[in-house]
Amino acid sequence: MKVPPLTVRFTAAGIHILEIDLWLDPRQPVAHAWFSHAHADHASGRPQQVWATSRTLELYRIRWPITTSVDQKLIPLAFGIPIEWNGAKLTAWPAGHIIGAAQLCVEKDGYRLVYTGDLKLNQPICGVKTISIECDRLIIESTFGLPIYHFLSHTEARHRILSFAQETLAEGATPVFLGYPLGRGQEIAHVLATAGIPTSVHGAMHKFLPAYEAEGYSFPGVEPYSAQTDPSRALVVVPGMRDYLEARGEVRVAYVSGWAALANARTRANAHELIPYSDHASFTELLDLVAASGASQIDIVHGYAEPFAHILRGRGYHAQAATAQMSREEDAGA
Amino acid sequence: MSFDELALVCERVAATPSRNRKISLLGEYLTKQNETDLVRATRFLCGQPLPGGAKMSLGHAALREALIEVTGWDLETVRLCYREVGDTGETIGLLLQGATRNLPLTLQQAEEEYLGVFGRKRTADRVARLAEVFLRYSPLSLKYFVKGITGNLRIGLQERLVEEAIAAATGHTAAALREASHKAGQLGDIARAAYRRELHLVEAKIFHPMEFMLAKPIEQAPELGDAADWWVEDKYDGIRSQVHAGDGQVKIYSRGMEEVTAAFPEIVTIFAGLPVPIAIDGELLAWRDGKALNFTVLQQRLQRKTVPAELLTEVPIIFMAYDLLHLAGQSTAGLTLEERLHLLAQHLPDGARLSARRPLAELPSLEEEFNAARKRGNEGLLLKRRGTIYEPGKRGNYWLKVKKAFGTLDVVVTAAEQGHGRRATMLSDYTFAVRDGDRFLNVGKAYSGLTDDEIRELTRVLRGLTQEKYGRVMLVRPEVVLEVAFDGIQKSPRHKSGFALRFPRILRWRQDKSPADADTLAAVQALYTATLG
Repeated sequence: MKVPPLTVRFTAAGIHILEIDLWLDPRQPVAHAWFSHAHADHASGRPQQVWATSRTLELYRIRWPITTSVDQKLIPLAFGIPIEWNGAKLTAWPAGHIIGAAQLCVEKDGYRLVYTGDLKLNQPICGVKTISIECDRLIIESTFGLPIYHFLSHTEARHRILSFAQETLAEGATPVFLGYPLGRGQEIAHVLATAGIPTSVHGAMHKFLPAYEAEGYSFPGVEPYSAQTDPSRALVVVPGMRDYLEARGEVRVAYVSGWAALANARTRANAHELIPYSDHASFTELLDLVAASGASQIDIVHGYAEPFAHILRGRGYHAQAATAQMSREEDAGA
Repeated sequence: MSFDELALVCERVAATPSRNRKISLLGEYLTKQNETDLVRATRFLCGQPLPGGAKMSLGHAALREALIEVTGWDLETVRLCYREVGDTGETIGLLLQGATRNLPLTLQQAEEEYLGVFGRKRTADRVARLAEVFLRYSPLSLKYFVKGITGNLRIGLQERLVEEAIAAATGHTAAALREASHKAGQLGDIARAAYRRELHLVEAKIFHPMEFMLAKPIEQAPELGDAADWWVEDKYDGIRSQVHAGDGQVKIYSRGMEEVTAAFPEIVTIFAGLPVPIAIDGELLAWRDGKALNFTVLQQRLQRKTVPAELLTEVPIIFMAYDLLHLAGQSTAGLTLEERLHLLAQHLPDGARLSARRPLAELPSLEEEFNAARKRGNEGLLLKRRGTIYEPGKRGNYWLKVKKAFGTLDVVVTAAEQGHGRRATMLSDYTFAVRDGDRFLNVGKAYSGLTDDEIRELTRVLRGLTQEKYGRVMLVRPEVVLEVAFDGIQKSPRHKSGFALRFPRILRWRQDKSPADADTLAAVQALYTATLG
């Protein structure tokens, strides 16, 4: 068998492609990094040189502003337009997950490696639909890599979000949606606001609205939440605010998440309404992506990595979980 | 009518924490049903979908096997999925998505499918039949079809709420429904009577177990008022049972309406051939030399389908009668306690015993009598108010029990296990130990007693102490001290300590204590020996 021209090392510091010295979503300071998207567990720290989509770089800069102490070079990659790096071709392709999210295709001597980052295959509420890329080696996440995770489509989710908000308001209570600051929160706010439901969002979410607006998603009448906010407005806030809101008045809480696919999420999230919609791929979406890639080698870097690799092997794929190497301490700093 | 719709209603019932909303959702659905389907739906909601409350025994392994046959998933993956979900019906429903034909399912068909599966004797045949069922209907309906088999819907629905929903659907008061359901155990039959507007005709029938009247625990004598109002009996530590006899037949039911006749042939002999049909409330006891034996001994007899001759002599059983439920085709529940006991004494066959009762007023003190009862090897005392009727299913003020907790022990958690259902993501079941030198030896396992918040916090702590993981069970470093109450101590070959606490319940998490403060094996031994006294 021919030796592949690209070698990948999975370490606690991140994923490293040796021949071209490129780190994928590194967790430690490195020279050259690819940021798949702007969530804090992927785009963090201050690598000297960063490639990402321009939207991801913009969102990254909101959290990691320019400083004079570090000399950093951020290089935007447009979808589908390759650039050269150390004898390889780097191309970004949409990953659906949140705005700006991208997969990276690294091509050298006709050999293709794809790193998905976090992704969703089906059309998200806000974001570009993912393209599946044929490749030799696929490095993929598996947040929902068990066959129990089935999600609503973006249209079904939209419908459920709206009917929950409308019913709750009709009963005189405040509909509350819990979500993390970047991604789901803006999607929910966009759905509510464009349907004419007065909506307030947590400040941590509000600061990302301009980026979404630049992508063409509107938020008519959306205001940042404050203590004076009227209880007849729908709220999209971070989970930590729940107790505070409950103490202030009658609220009903909806949990919009992939984890809401299981009934035990009701106690886990302490939610009245479970809406199983995710910005990650469901189990079948993951399988479809793997199949469409045609990859002869598959590495799984997040989530149910071992079980998902086991399932893939059962279907004849050459698949392995890389999570054990990535959590090993002794490799840190390599 | 539609089982699919019933499954949807169950989903909505699970989704609302409001008791009234649950009742109105169910009531709305039940109102639309004809008589037969109302009965079917009721039986399903009570976790007993088969007519006559027939048992549907099919273990989780067999259910999994049918699932694997249909979906082709390997056992390892199915197990992991179950661990994440925490409920067999839900796991099966989720794993069947996309694998079924989604045919509509009616209540009648569901009943036929249950009968089709459980009409077969061998487990392998049941599994094969179930696999066929799994291919036909919608995953949501199959989720609930399986929950019907496992017998627990896990949608936050007690029988009380089903009663209220039937009442609402048939235009009765909840009280009327409840009263009838206490007389005759099967809620399906009550629903039929309610539909026909014949609730007033519901009467206790022989060979239909009735709910037991229950006693409320009290701590102190001053709660009693006038001593002249009360009878006192010993409270036995046996198996609460009803013996129904007549027409050459004898049946014994324990709590939970379970038939246990086969385990106690000598009791059957005593009651066989009575001239008048009768149903009696009482207690099964292992008995030797005029005294009840430790509950551990009695346990050897329970769960037996046949009893070997040597066990019959080794662990002799008696029936200690203490109330009359039914006589000569009439319910006696409406008679006074004294009238019932008078009739009971007249009709009790030779070989059965009548629990001795004393007027409270003639006793020197309740405390002394309690201690005497404990010396006789019994659990404590029962107080019964004079002139009162028998109220099936009720824990009211007519019967009281004086049963001091055995004591409490401070124990150390050695293993924790994920709960089920709504506690599926938390470590809610704890195995605990007492100290023996520098070793910790298990004496029991408890499931409840803490609030969800405490369990959440304890889960966090225990995860940090985890040393090894076996499936759902984590072995933890012995550091967390709990105070547990319990009702007794028995010998146990399952535990290394050699003892097991009976009915242990967690009183509190003793964050103020360290494992070195935990109680010792010697203390447990001493307590056990004291009860044999």
